Amino acid sequence: MKLGVKMVLVLMSIALVSGLLLSYTYEATKNDIKRNKEIEKEEAIKVVIKGTERFTEKQIDAKNYLLSAYNKDGKLIGYAMLTEGAGFQGPIKLMIGFDTTLSKITGIEVLENVETPGLGNRITEKWFKEQFRGRLTPIGYVKGKKPEDPHNIQAISGATISSRSVVKIVNDAWKLAKKEINK
Amino acid sequence: MIEKALIIFLAATLTNNFVLTYFLGLCPFVGVSERASSAIGMGFASTFVMTMTAIIAWIMDWLVLRPLHLEFLQTAVFILVIASLVQFVEMFIKKTSKELYKALGIYLPLITTNCIVLGLALIGSMKNYNLLENIMLGFGAGIGFTLALVLIAGIREELEFRNVPEPLKGAGITLIVVGLMALAFMGFSGMVTL
Amino acid sequence: MKKRSLFYEFKKGLVAENPVLIMLLGLCSTLAVSNKAINSLSMALAVFFVLFFSSLIIGLIKNIIPDQVRIPSFILVIATFVTLADLFMKAKFPAISKALGPYIPLIVVNCIILGRQEAFVSKNSLAASLMDAIGMSLGYLWVIVLLGMVRELLGFGTIFGVRVLGSWFKPWLVMVLPPGSFITLGIFVGVLNWLRSKGGKA
Repeated sequence: MKLGVKMVLVLMSIALVSGLLLSYTYEATKNDIKRNKEIEKEEAIKVVIKGTERFTEKQIDAKNYLLSAYNKDGKLIGYAMLTEGAGFQGPIKLMIGFDTTLSKITGIEVLENVETPGLGNRITEKWFKEQFRGRLTPIGYVKGKKPEDPHNIQAISGATISSRSVVKIVNDAWKLAKKEINK
Repeated sequence: MIEKALIIFLAATLTNNFVLTYFLGLCPFVGVSERASSAIGMGFASTFVMTMTAIIAWIMDWLVLRPLHLEFLQTAVFILVIASLVQFVEMFIKKTSKELYKALGIYLPLITTNCIVLGLALIGSMKNYNLLENIMLGFGAGIGFTLALVLIAGIREELEFRNVPEPLKGAGITLIVVGLMALAFMGFSGMVTL
Repeated sequence: MKKRSLFYEFKKGLVAENPVLIMLLGLCSTLAVSNKAINSLSMALAVFFVLFFSSLIIGLIKNIIPDQVRIPSFILVIATFVTLADLFMKAKFPAISKALGPYIPLIVVNCIILGRQEAFVSKNSLAASLMDAIGMSLGYLWVIVLLGMVRELLGFGTIFGVRVLGSWFKPWLVMVLPPGSFITLGIFVGVLNWLRSKGGKA
């Protein structure tokens, strides 16, 4: 019995000290962690919609956020979708910029991906992302040649699935944004 | 809904095999994988614990930690859940079935410190799975672990009679064989995704 | 047990009882994060932090912990330090924290840490335990960083992000994928065994 009491006492006190220490550290680091996430979002939206000075954010569902971007005069200059969809090996998280009529893409940024390094991973390369700038919605893709249709982008050779995934995520986000804005 | 759960199961077993793509559960891999029979025992004991962990960790995560905003205690809570679960399973099996205890008993303590169990709880939480999806993740990861463990044990039994260079005997050649197996499993990738 | 010098406790982790290559502990993290040298280094530092402080605290309080609850107590202490490391990295080094993903919380079940508490700290003096912790962490560090450098060099042509091999070099993609990790570590184990057998040391 005495041993039992001691066991409980020791475990409880370790748990207590550990809990206190952790909650203190959590409080101390909480703001930094939150700010890191904000900074990431802010940098991404400035890339996909040039001239963004400030933005508002609206959650659509667990994985999709609609952001409205304003320039320094407070004028609405575009919408961005922070979204996530399935890639070749796991989720791809994107920030996609649209113009105010949602008819044109102003840029995309890849925030997270676990595609194969050197193949699907090339969706993070500049030339691939730059292709999206100015494409008309909804977009599509072609293989092995420069696209002529202003809706299309060129898929990465050897990584068609990853390229196709990005195209699909962009189109899905576009549909969602359209529905949300016309509501 | 059911379809998504099945996809998660397939992904956890084949395309995103926890051992071969996330490197989880390697400690017993090198230790227990010498005989196919013990590999099967270890595999099923782990699968059982992993499925149970998926359930209890999900409940703790969504009904206790998240409502109370105590997410930062996640790691500590998950590992305690696993440790007590393993202890409980051990006691339960000991009481109910002598044979089962004989077959699985020696593996159970090893499972607590197997990173595949905690890894599964953490990955499930990161992906915000619902309960059914989490169970499929746990069960699938367990089956995938068993599959990899049994395959490698079979190959190691064969290797004993082969002329392996002296310095590579044991761990060295096992790791290289696992590497080749991981290469083979990459053939599944793209089929489904976690 | 015969008395051994503190220096011996420090030195043994480097080669003779290397946690990764000889004892084959902590393989998950070693294999998983070593695709780039910088990730390897961050992981090794996190492991060092957790191992050192867990050994310190457990070394101090081991006498008041009843034997029956030894493992849960150890795990609690370890989990505390792991969470501290995790929160710290998330706050100060978000990019690295993202690259290492769930492998930081997984340090809790890194067999090196619990294994050392069980096998060494609970039976030895505090000073010896700390030397052991430093030695083991360094043993882990050089293996994982070397592994990261080899894989990054062959997989991307860079080391610590600095381009070493010119554009003539076609990166071996397999090196940064899981199979390359297993195979490289297997070769490391073989090379160390070969060197040791040549040196005539047991």
